[in-house]
Amino acid sequence: MSVVLRLKAPLAARLDLEGVTPAALAGKALAEVEALALPHGGRSVPLGELFAVRAGGEGRLVIEGGDARLDGVGAGLSAGEIVVEGDVGAHAGRGLAGGLLRISGDAGDELAAGMTGGRIEVAGNAGARVGAAPSGARRGMAGGVVAIRGSAGIRAGERQRGGLIFVGGDVGDEAATDMIAGTLAVAGRFGAGTGRGMKRGTLLARTAPELPEGFADTGTHDLVALRLMARRVPDLAALIGAAVTARRLVGDRLQGGLGEVLVL
Amino acid sequence: MILNGVEIRDSFAEAFPMVGTRLIITADTPDWAMTAGRVTTGFATSVIGCGCEAGVERVIAPEDTPDGRPGVAILIFAMDFKSLKTVVPLRLGQCILTCPTTACYAGVEGGKRVPLAKTIRYFSDGYQISKKFGDERFWRLPVMDGEFVCDEDTGSVEGVGGGNILILARSRGQALHAAEQAVKAMSRVEGVILPFPGGVVRSGSKVGSKYKALFASTNDSYCPTLRGVAATSALPDEVGSVMEIVIDGVSFDAVAAATRVGIEAVCAVGSTGGVVAIDAGNYGGNLGPFHFKLRDIMGGVA
Repeated sequence: MSVVLRLKAPLAARLDLEGVTPAALAGKALAEVEALALPHGGRSVPLGELFAVRAGGEGRLVIEGGDARLDGVGAGLSAGEIVVEGDVGAHAGRGLAGGLLRISGDAGDELAAGMTGGRIEVAGNAGARVGAAPSGARRGMAGGVVAIRGSAGIRAGERQRGGLIFVGGDVGDEAATDMIAGTLAVAGRFGAGTGRGMKRGTLLARTAPELPEGFADTGTHDLVALRLMARRVPDLAALIGAAVTARRLVGDRLQGGLGEVLVL
Repeated sequence: MILNGVEIRDSFAEAFPMVGTRLIITADTPDWAMTAGRVTTGFATSVIGCGCEAGVERVIAPEDTPDGRPGVAILIFAMDFKSLKTVVPLRLGQCILTCPTTACYAGVEGGKRVPLAKTIRYFSDGYQISKKFGDERFWRLPVMDGEFVCDEDTGSVEGVGGGNILILARSRGQALHAAEQAVKAMSRVEGVILPFPGGVVRSGSKVGSKYKALFASTNDSYCPTLRGVAATSALPDEVGSVMEIVIDGVSFDAVAAATRVGIEAVCAVGSTGGVVAIDAGNYGGNLGPFHFKLRDIMGGVA
């Protein structure tokens, strides 16, 4: 069974929704869903106290009315779909392994931290450290796609090791710090200090970011990979467009890195 | 059964299971894509001596290739999966990687995986770049003309090898002309290749030999100069030359379709073009599980 949760009132404290996924709710009666205990501020409260619960479409969890204090939405999702009509707080889609998380508003910090697969779509902006390593982990997002229509905060793609982050707007300072692999594509502008400590991975940019000393400019090249990505990766089609050449900057060479910034 | 004066003999082609794969090769120009396709499928007429059978399947328009450049599809078949996994990376590394401007992509989705860049990426000495989107990984190998882009691996199919037709004609020129017409028509069938030179083999073989070391030897029953000399002859007096077309395909249906198209093209040349009969090669039916019965395939036409 699938469920629609409607937030009864703005949250007075942070609420952690980690683990509240279509799979976890499957087979539960509405009363059981209402009885689920959620960490809320310093307490544990039944879900039904904060949300009005009703049945919805198959394999789908809908959250009506978001809140910037609604943390951990879609954390641990591995199948099915979670749709949030509003904003979410921190850690949305943390460790997400499959399925789809769609957020119609803004997302807080550490969106998609440690994600390994699946897809996250954010219609608004995202906070700091999109796709970074979750607390206690050394490596960030390893797979899947995060598509943010707006802008993202500082350190997007920090320690990212796979997958694709697409940002329709700008990213804050120090994006791709210590990036291990994967792709961070930004349609707007990068901030200062981009790419420090990059080991591998690709940044796709429309304008050349301000890069640290350790980046070598290899010049502009006709790259067949651009034509392939424009066709094979729907999320990159508009950004790459008909571009067949890119300026390729490689770094961070001061740390032996072979990451690249492709300026379209 | 007689079509346009050509006898369709009550015979069948006996074919064998093979495993195969398809590669999509693109390049900056159609000519270079075809060059890569031809070279990669060169020396691949028969598994007996080449380890695989391969050919260019078709030309692909730029709008239908993964990178939007002109391309060709090639098919490579081997007797078992282990051999396929050996020959494909070898040919990829020697003939596609080396060919100017090319890229190489998976042409089969399902089946067991045949390594492509998974194997040859090491050529790049640590500078290879992996990109993975969804479940698909491709590699970028820095080379002297830029980058060689190549998919991680490709799928495989359980196909059919050794479908064939024999064209019996009055003279060598007439046999060859009919064979050329057949090749032209059969090349338009998707999912098949004709692995022999220009699609035609003039040295068809039988199983066994008087020499113990040889598995196969000349098909003496169809050699015009041995009529009345060899133990048996399948050639009436008016036949002066025989050409064979061998077909490998991704499925029984693909090979059957190519067989039919080929026979139709030969019959269009007809007895006035010197064609006497169409026959097929088999080993009595006990060796290969796939039988392409000529008259069944042409059923409904006569």
